[in-house]
Amino acid sequence: METQIGIILAVMVFAYALAKWRNFSIELSMLFAAVAGGAAGALYNTPPPGQIFRHLVEGSFTYLDVILVFSTATIFMAIVSESGGVNYVVRSIIKHFYNIRFIALLLLMIIILIPGALTGAGSVSLLVVGAPVALALGYLGIDKRRVAAILFIVAGLSAAAPPVNIWAMILSAGTAIPYVGFELPLGIPVLLLGIFTVLFLGWKNEGTLDKQKVLEDMPEVPEKMSWWRVLLPFLVFFGLVVAYRIWPFATPIFGLALEFSIAGLVALLVSPKKIHILKLSSETMKRLLPLLATMVVVGMLQQIMTATGVRGLLSFAVISTPLVLLFIALIFIIPISEGVLTYGGAAIIGIPLIWFLDSIGLHATVAIAGLSLLWPLGDGLPPTALIGRLSVMVSGYKGTYWTFLKKTWVPWVVITIVGILMVLFSARLDFLVKWSM
Amino acid sequence: MIKQMKMSRLWIIKLTLIVFLAAIISLAGYQLYTHRHFQVPLITGPGVTKVVKLSEYSPGIKGTMADTNVFFLEGSEEGGKILILANTHANEPAALLTALLFIENAVVDKGTMIIIPMFNNSAGRNTRPGDGYPLYFEIPTKWGSKKFRMGNRDASPLDQWPDPDVYVHYPDKQLLSFLDVRNTNRTWPGRAKGPLMERVTFGAMEIMRKENVDIAIDIHGAETMFPVTNCIVAPEKSMRIAVMTTLTVKSREHFDSHVEPSPSGFRGLSHREIGDYADTFPFLLEAPIPFLDQPTGPKTVDLLLDGKDPFLLSLSKKGKLFVPYDEEGWSMEKRVGQHCSVTLEIMSQYSKKNPDRTIRISSVPRYADVLKNGVGYYYHDPNKTDKKNIIYN
Ligand SMILES: [Zn+2]
Repeated sequence: METQIGIILAVMVFAYALAKWRNFSIELSMLFAAVAGGAAGALYNTPPPGQIFRHLVEGSFTYLDVILVFSTATIFMAIVSESGGVNYVVRSIIKHFYNIRFIALLLLMIIILIPGALTGAGSVSLLVVGAPVALALGYLGIDKRRVAAILFIVAGLSAAAPPVNIWAMILSAGTAIPYVGFELPLGIPVLLLGIFTVLFLGWKNEGTLDKQKVLEDMPEVPEKMSWWRVLLPFLVFFGLVVAYRIWPFATPIFGLALEFSIAGLVALLVSPKKIHILKLSSETMKRLLPLLATMVVVGMLQQIMTATGVRGLLSFAVISTPLVLLFIALIFIIPISEGVLTYGGAAIIGIPLIWFLDSIGLHATVAIAGLSLLWPLGDGLPPTALIGRLSVMVSGYKGTYWTFLKKTWVPWVVITIVGILMVLFSARLDFLVKWSM
Repeated sequence: MIKQMKMSRLWIIKLTLIVFLAAIISLAGYQLYTHRHFQVPLITGPGVTKVVKLSEYSPGIKGTMADTNVFFLEGSEEGGKILILANTHANEPAALLTALLFIENAVVDKGTMIIIPMFNNSAGRNTRPGDGYPLYFEIPTKWGSKKFRMGNRDASPLDQWPDPDVYVHYPDKQLLSFLDVRNTNRTWPGRAKGPLMERVTFGAMEIMRKENVDIAIDIHGAETMFPVTNCIVAPEKSMRIAVMTTLTVKSREHFDSHVEPSPSGFRGLSHREIGDYADTFPFLLEAPIPFLDQPTGPKTVDLLLDGKDPFLLSLSKKGKLFVPYDEEGWSMEKRVGQHCSVTLEIMSQYSKKNPDRTIRISSVPRYADVLKNGVGYYYHDPNKTDKKNIIYN
């Protein structure tokens, strides 16, 4: 049986490589791998030929809920941005804290964290707040290469930040571990690592621009913009989330997708500027399409790999690896799997890994939190390099991709160490989970 | 001209893809639709005295996919009462097969058996995206084979949706994963007007309260790599009976099923809440189901039925499984046989301690019988059964 599964795996890898070589997108390449895997499996009747299409279609629904949350949250953030809210906040930070560098850096970091934390996608952070924050960082005298590095690392952390961490959601769903109690095990390391990153990469001031000039250069904000207009939509969103936790048996279940939609509607109503919602949302969905397609295809791939036994084989390999070797391998395997398969890496390698770590007595929730700090790093690695490329684009850095990536190595190593230590000492960190609940 | 030709070529490719995609979706959609609406003939045996709907006890599920059949097997003599729940998790099918064995064969001499064979009916009509299950499995019988749906752990989102961002358990307010709002082993004790699955568990609680049920047995299956497997999970009040059952089946029938205490801090589970919210003694039975393990070969019907897998075998030799495992795998006969014997033994232990609430039944096979004859041996041919004795579910 091992040979049979090995052949199917080889066919999938070959199909993926061939498609990449023919310059197909990462989503299409994964789709080809899934279809080829299903066809190869059918030769052995695993799955039976008549079931291949059913498996592909069924698998495409695996992350439907995540896709809905992702879409509605991103449209919500796009409305806030379009109304001038983001520019307003960034402008205020520069105006008030231009000379208090520590606070200015800290606040800008938090601004990048918010959209990604709410949506689970670092790309949303970059698309929504990336440009004004990059501008502000530039005015603080940080060169573009370091700005790109800050954006990349902090956007990655934002994706790992609670409440929505898609890697942790995939791992929890796949291992039947409740997706609860992640607030502190994720929130604390993300904040500390974020602070370290902005200070390490952003402390040195290399510019000499004065405040007045800076404020003149920043994008205009609609005159009627004010703090309450920015904050109200967020208050409504968190209000809905908190209301269900305080009065769970009296509040109807809305679900995150509807909660983001309601918050988006409020943002639309309080916007000082008229927003063409249909145009804005269709543009947003267009930008999101590659990410959504990835989620759809990852589900298909996961289903085919399970039905053919490939997932079992990989899982078996993970469980059979000696522990020390496994941890050393993880430092490389996790980011590389993200770079090749994006969320597929978490599903295929992460799920068996968590089962295993859980069975040897580690605390699954903390271990998931620790590992999910490592996955976003892979978004800077080719072939996808999704967040890395966006960071370079948004910051306007003109050098080569590798010179940008080299700039990130210190935070990269620190994040890796923190993540692995969290896994190793997860049993002792379980108080973080308890305090979250 | 060239540009136009390129355009039209692109359109042809796009159109072909759309047509192809529509064909795939229709085919797969048809297969999934048929699965959701596939009816299994359930045959009422000599012991069945009435069949009612769960909605009689929980009106909030009337007319929904969550409503399901409740079989009453009332003895001629008054005695104790037992409730058996199967397919709480519809992807652990040994439970359903055991329940049908009781429904088709049991003769009740004293007391009452109440059996809900497809407790989470919605989950039994759901699939598990991403996990590549087969849609059906068939059990060989003397007269052909009996076909069943393979279900999912959770109710279908078609019946209960959306999920909250986090599920707040009623009434303890413990935070559970959003998925567990559709998991009928997390929604106990439930509410009359809560989310659909809380209404399902509420219906079962109402049966236990209104009918004064003495014992409740919730039948499951668990991975061989999961520590809580091949066991009877029991809270403090059921502990004595569980221990006696374990010892008796071990000495008389030579199979293991150890006792696990029900954790008091983890809410929503049947073995926790039933005991706390009714006078019933709850037990939850787990038998190993290798099919659900992560490191297995292809997810085939064979694996589901015989439980043989080379990866698990190799891991077993390295001491990574929680149950003994060899080339024989862990067959469906073994699992169903264990469930039969453990259930019968719990009844007899309870009856010994409470003679006025005795439950005495006969004609149900025990472990050795099921192992020898197979599960299908005990199922009757629906074509040769009086139509009034067939319930489709
Ligand atoms: Zn179960």
